[in-house]
Parts: sequence; structure tokens; C-alpha cells
Amino acid sequence: MNEVRHGTTDELLALRDGEGSAWAKAHVESCGACAGELYRLEQVRAQLRALPAFASPRDRWAPIAERARRERLQRRFSGGVGLAAAAALAGLLLVAVQGTHPDPLQAETTLKTAMARSQAMEQVLRDLDPDARALTGGAAGAVVDLQIRIEALDAQLNDPDRWGNDRAHQSELWNERAGLLSALVDVHTTRVAYAGL
Amino acid sequence: MADTIPLAEAHSLVARARAGDFGALEHLYRAYEGSVYTLARRLTRTPEDAEDVLQETFLEICRSLASWRGEGSLWGWVRRIAASKALMRYRREKLRVTEVLDDDVAERGGDDVPLRLDLEAALGRLPEKTRTVVWLHDVEGMTHEEIAELMGMTTSFSKSQLARAHQKLRDWLGEEGAVR
Repeated sequence: MNEVRHGTTDELLALRDGEGSAWAKAHVESCGACAGELYRLEQVRAQLRALPAFASPRDRWAPIAERARRERLQRRFSGGVGLAAAAALAGLLLVAVQGTHPDPLQAETTLKTAMARSQAMEQVLRDLDPDARALTGGAAGAVVDLQIRIEALDAQLNDPDRWGNDRAHQSELWNERAGLLSALVDVHTTRVAYAGL
Repeated sequence: MADTIPLAEAHSLVARARAGDFGALEHLYRAYEGSVYTLARRLTRTPEDAEDVLQETFLEICRSLASWRGEGSLWGWVRRIAASKALMRYRREKLRVTEVLDDDVAERGGDDVPLRLDLEAALGRLPEKTRTVVWLHDVEGMTHEEIAELMGMTTSFSKSQLARAHQKLRDWLGEEGAVR
């Protein structure tokens, strides 16, 4: 007596997915049990797809955006601001050589001091490893605000057309940058409420 | 699921996001947040894990936008990142916790399960790898080749896990379970 060979789950799943063998296709047409099992597999898939979606209990966009901005800023620190600093130093040398500024030595000292202050605060911030620190919602918002302002300053510092030979304005920008970085350090170290600068 | 962002709009959004437009990034987040979280809930153990996967996924999207070539759907690319993050979490957890029960041989919850479960409960009882395969294949529509590549396994592994999942679901749901 011949025993009927039924399709395996593997074979029926392949058939359900449109990849079944010729044997499986022919067999299902003549075998009620396998046709029933194939129908069941199709139903399970349909029911899986109909399961309700989940909704995240909290809106995660603010911390994601804050972290993404921080990462972008770090990339800029390692590249973009270096260009700004180089451009500023090149400008200083030009001024010193040409002697166009009424007091080039004073301008050079002021600008170098402002740049050094900004770079020192960058180093403090890096040493703090802000990525490893959890922030409250308020602190995270303050960080984002400060980073946006630093990015705007960096855009100005990286665009010599906007400051030309105005060393005093350059110094102001670098000092403002140092102040914003200092505020960032404060937020990360003390978690104090940021009242704006 | 179907992509909620048409391809042309996806190209425009990604171009803006690459240029640093956080408004465009937020648009992407709002469009895919629910789908990514649902996928993460299905592939991880806890809601907290799923939230972490959601966050890690979008951070990776922010970092890797340049790698989306725009050839396939944006959701397909996002889904792949999300699944990869969920699997990485699972692997880390496996390394961190010495599991007494190897989930390749024992389903979650032990043997004292009721004879009949609803589909949600039965799905949750599948071992993590098996559940991942059945979800990615049957719900997300990924091929066995794609799943195998994602999981670092063979296509035979993916196929056998799918068959095993359906055998278990049949047992737990009962004969008529699927059409209840």
C-alpha cells in the first residue's frame, strides 16, 4: 500500500511565498490536508500583518536631535573650526606684515587671546566627554540652544568675507564663542538652569 | 509596511537633511517613528529596549544619510538599520547574560503554557531569533537572503526558523487558531 507524502512546512511556506516546487503545486491541488495547511499559513501571515502597531511612550526626537547636533559639532571641531583658526592666524600675519592696523601688535594679542580662550574651553568640553553624560530635558534643550549659536558663530568665522580685516570684530566673535563653550561646560558640569547669555 | 514617503519626496528630504536641515530630519523621524518602534518592539524583549533601538536607529540615520543611494525605498533602508540595531542589542545581551536556557532549544515561558494562546502571546513566546525571522519575513516582507545577510546566517537558517515558527504557532494557536 502506498503512503501519501504530504508537503512539509518548508515546502508549503515556499508555495505560499510564490516559490514552491512543481511537485508541491500539483500536490496541493489534489490534497485537501495540504491545501488546508497552506490556507492556514496564509491566514497566520495575514493576522500577523494585522497586529496593532505600537506607539513609543515618549517623544524621542529632542534627545536624538540634541545628540545629532553634538556629533555634528564635534565633527566641526575637528575640521571646520581649525580652518577658521588658520584663516584668522593667516590674517594676523598679513596685518603684521602690511602694518595696516593702527596697532597691529595689540590686535594680534587680543585676537590670539580670544582664540586661545575658545580653544581651551573646547578642550575642557572634550575632556568632559559630554556624550557619556545624561541630561535632563531642560539641560538638553539648553545644550541644543548653545550648539545652534556656536554653529552660527562658526559659520561666520569660516567666512572671511564677513569679517575682512576687522580684527576687533574677529576677536569679538572668538570671545563670544569661548563664552558659549563655557556655558556648555557649565550645563554639563553643574546641570544649572541656563538663563541665556 | 508600505513606505509612507514617496521616493521623490524622500530624495528631497534626504538632500536637505544631509545639508544640515534638522527640520528635514525631524520630518523623517515623524514619518518613521511608529514603524521603527513597532519593529523594535517585535524584535526586542522590553519596551525600554525598543525605545533604545528607536533612538539608536535615528542617530545612525543622522550619521549615515550619505550612504542611502536612493535606489530602493527609504523605508527599506531605515528598516534595515532598525533591525540591525535590534539584533546588535540582542547579541550584546547574549554576551552579557549567561543564559541557562538556550533559546534555540527552549521557548520563552517554559512548558506550562496554556494550550491555546492568542497570536500576540504566541508570537511573544517564540525565541528571539525565530520571532525576528518570522516578523521580518512575513510582516516586513524581507527575503530569506536579506534576513540571512542581516543576521549573519545562511538562507537555510532563515527558512528553517520560519518553518519552525509556524509549527510552533500552529501548536500554540490550536488547529483553528489562525482563523479565530
